[in-house]
Amino acid sequence: MNLLNNDAMRLMETSLKAATTRHNTIANNIANADTPGFKAERTVFKHQLAEATGNQLQAYRTDEKHINFGGSNSNESPVITKRNNTAYNHNGNNVDMDHEMAELAKNQIYYNAMIERLNSRFSGIRTALGSGR
Amino acid sequence: MFHGMNVSASALTSQRLRMDVTSANMANAESTRGRLVDGEWEPYRRKMVHMQTNGEQSFRNHFLQAQQAETNGVKISRIMEDQTPFRLAYQPEHPDANEDGYVELPNVDPLKEMMDLMSATRSYEANVTTLDAQKSMLMRALEIGR
Repeated sequence: MNLLNNDAMRLMETSLKAATTRHNTIANNIANADTPGFKAERTVFKHQLAEATGNQLQAYRTDEKHINFGGSNSNESPVITKRNNTAYNHNGNNVDMDHEMAELAKNQIYYNAMIERLNSRFSGIRTALGSGR
Repeated sequence: MFHGMNVSASALTSQRLRMDVTSANMANAESTRGRLVDGEWEPYRRKMVHMQTNGEQSFRNHFLQAQQAETNGVKISRIMEDQTPFRLAYQPEHPDANEDGYVELPNVDPLKEMMDLMSATRSYEANVTTLDAQKSMLMRALEIGR
C-alpha cells in the first residue's frame, strides 16, 4: 500500500481545494451583494452537476445483481457555475445573503473537518513509524 | 492563496467609501453653496456611489473566468450626482435667497441616507465575517501534519 500517494489522500486534497474555491466564490458573492446586475456563483463538482441534470456516466451491467458504479472522481477539480435565471433584487442582483452566510459557515466546518481527517491520518502514519504521540 | 482575502478587502474598501459618501451627504444637508456655476452658487447635490465587479472586461479576464473562474471582488466605478430638483424653502433673510425670498436647499433626504448607511454597515459586517472565516481556514491549514 502506498503510504502517502493513495486515493484517500488525493480525495482529501481535492476536497480541500474545492473548499478553498468555494470560499472564494462565496466571498465574491458577498462582496458583490450591492452590485447591480451581478449574478451569484456556486462551486460544484462535475459529478454533482451530472447528478442534477441526470446524465451521469454509469457502468454497463450485464446482470442487475452486479454492483453499480460510476467513474472515479478522486482527483476531479471543481467547476464554478453562475445562476443566471433569477433576480433577487430590482437591480438584477441575485445574491441571497442568508444563503451565502449559511454556505460560508457550512464550508468552514467542512474545511476544518477535512483538515481534522488529514491530521488523524498523518498521526496514524507517525504511530506506524514508531514516533507516535 | 490570499485571493479570498483580497476579494473581501475590496468589498470592505467599497463599503467604507459608500459610508464616506453618505457622511458627506449628511454633513452637507444644508449647504447652499456647493459649487460655483457661471458665477452663481448652486446648492450641494446628493452624491451616490455606483458599484461594479472588479477587473477590466478584457479577453484574458473572460478566458480566465470561463476556465478557472477567477473571482474578482468589487469596486466603486464612479460617484454620481442625484439629479432630483433642489428643495425650496421660504427664507427672505437668507443671503442666497432669490428675489421671491426662496432659498434652494440641497436634495439630500436624511431618510435615504440613513437607509444607505445601514445597508453599507450590514454589508461591511458580512464581509468582515467572510474575512474572519478565510483567516481561520488559513490558520487551520497551517496546522496540517502537526
